Amino acid sequence: MTHLSDDELVLHYYGEDGPEIVTAERHLKACTQCARAYEALARTLNAVIPPEFVEAFDDLPALRQLLREHSRDGSSSLPVGKSLIRAKAGVTVLVWLAPLLYPVSLKALFSSAQWAQSQVVGVPFVALALMWACVGPLLAICALNHLSFDRGAQASTRVLVVGAVMAAISPSLFLFVSRANDGLSVNLGMTLWYGVITLAALLSLFRRPGVSESTASTRAERFLYVHRLSALVLAVFVLAHVINQALAFISVSSYTAMRNVMRMASEQPASYLLLVGAVAIQIATGAGMGMKHVRAGAVARNVQAVAGWCLAAFMLAHVLTPLLYSQTSGTAGSIDQFDLLASPRSTEQLPFLLLGVASFLFHVGVYARLAALAYLAEASVRRLSYAGMVVGTTVVVTIGLSLCGIHLVR
Amino acid sequence: MNDGDVEVFLSLVERHRRYLYNLALRLTGNEQDAKDVVQDSLLNAYLGLEQFEGRADLRTWLNRILVNSALNHLRSLRRRPDVNAPQPIADVVDTVASSYPDPERLVASADWRRHVSAAMNTMSPLEQVTFALRHFDGCSINEIAQTVGISNTAAKQHIFRAVRKMRVALEPHWSGR
Repeated sequence: MTHLSDDELVLHYYGEDGPEIVTAERHLKACTQCARAYEALARTLNAVIPPEFVEAFDDLPALRQLLREHSRDGSSSLPVGKSLIRAKAGVTVLVWLAPLLYPVSLKALFSSAQWAQSQVVGVPFVALALMWACVGPLLAICALNHLSFDRGAQASTRVLVVGAVMAAISPSLFLFVSRANDGLSVNLGMTLWYGVITLAALLSLFRRPGVSESTASTRAERFLYVHRLSALVLAVFVLAHVINQALAFISVSSYTAMRNVMRMASEQPASYLLLVGAVAIQIATGAGMGMKHVRAGAVARNVQAVAGWCLAAFMLAHVLTPLLYSQTSGTAGSIDQFDLLASPRSTEQLPFLLLGVASFLFHVGVYARLAALAYLAEASVRRLSYAGMVVGTTVVVTIGLSLCGIHLVR
Repeated sequence: MNDGDVEVFLSLVERHRRYLYNLALRLTGNEQDAKDVVQDSLLNAYLGLEQFEGRADLRTWLNRILVNSALNHLRSLRRRPDVNAPQPIADVVDTVASSYPDPERLVASADWRRHVSAAMNTMSPLEQVTFALRHFDGCSINEIAQTVGISNTAAKQHIFRAVRKMRVALEPHWSGR
């Protein structure tokens, strides 16, 4: 006879044991040991009575005063409703400025790197320009925090969401557009990039067909399982690359040797197919889950969504860019150089790669954090999150240094 | 919004204020904390009114804001251990002093409430809120998970841990009675 565990007894007490409720009740009738345990549990929980229902204290005057003060906060002529609209408009402008100014940030990054080579005072400007190039995802997270509950019913919300996506995926999309431009017979230059942004802006004006909450929820649950399964396959490849890229900081030769082995393995038709299939499934299922959990105030979920967008664009660009290369110049992959700040063209890869690594760590990290809450106490999860952030930052900084040509052993 | 809109907002939330205050009291277990949490959540609701577009019931929306305000409030209290100690409950006749009280009398006693309050204080904010929503408010685990923004499994685990802590703290007081 299998006895009921303490947790099962708690579920039974609250009537949360679903279809097992009859089996549990039958067992409690038959098993003296479990019946005694249940009685002890029920006796304690029955004694935990809620505070008596009381009248709310009269705090209306204080509350009224507080709300009025906040209505007039900052500017006496600016009511709260307008300030919210203004904040939403402001963040919408910012998310669209990120892709528009992205090419300028790359120029600033390259110029400051050139300056830093001759004068050490240029180094902080390299860091600043790199932060500017990588600011898109941060703006996207801020934008999602201003999301209305209308789920895209209003044009302003759609413009905000599409702008957030564009800001988040700018580095990957720009790299892809830039390489696609190389394959064209006519060099369109920046026209192609601004054309893509215009197209995205126009698309945001069209409303997507609505899906009911229950359909979206069922779909998301179904997609989640496939998403996790394909993520396991992909995580092996990505983790190997991340670790190897971090090792490049220590020794270039070790990195090269390891990379050649991994490249040989991933270029086998079976593993390449597996890799591309996993990427396709990740993107398709991620898009299917859509923005179910995204809402104003849900910071962790919003970070995970934005990291997902970055990661999807990164993986697509990573898989497709070598194909463009082989069609145009016949050269191999895109990460051959050890100093990405050496030329304007290779500089495009620095924010792309750094955000790719960071988004992978954030996407997996937030998932792990939310999953850990099911097994560990909140305080332990918080401490583990801090430790994870320290490790993640170290990995990103190490990779950043190695990509900027700083290696302990050449 | 102008001053007139403040009045409209207050009249909208007035019919829910008693419910909100009692919910806050059950989540925090303390009158002053409940008062702070209600004020915080009504201010947040007022500032975020643009985000409420009638897709959800007003009480559900306010409920979600209040639960999250309570969580934040409890987390800030946990970071200040000096205010973490159980608060004495005033104006309650202490009946436990009489020898060998029966269980009903024990549960009604001020000492017992102090024990419950102390047990709640051993829980993490998420454990405290999920337990209070399940035990005092009768919310289903699914509703709790949606309100707090965690998975069903996580909500269950927090409740299990909360119940374990409650039993460890309270069961010694039953022995010998």
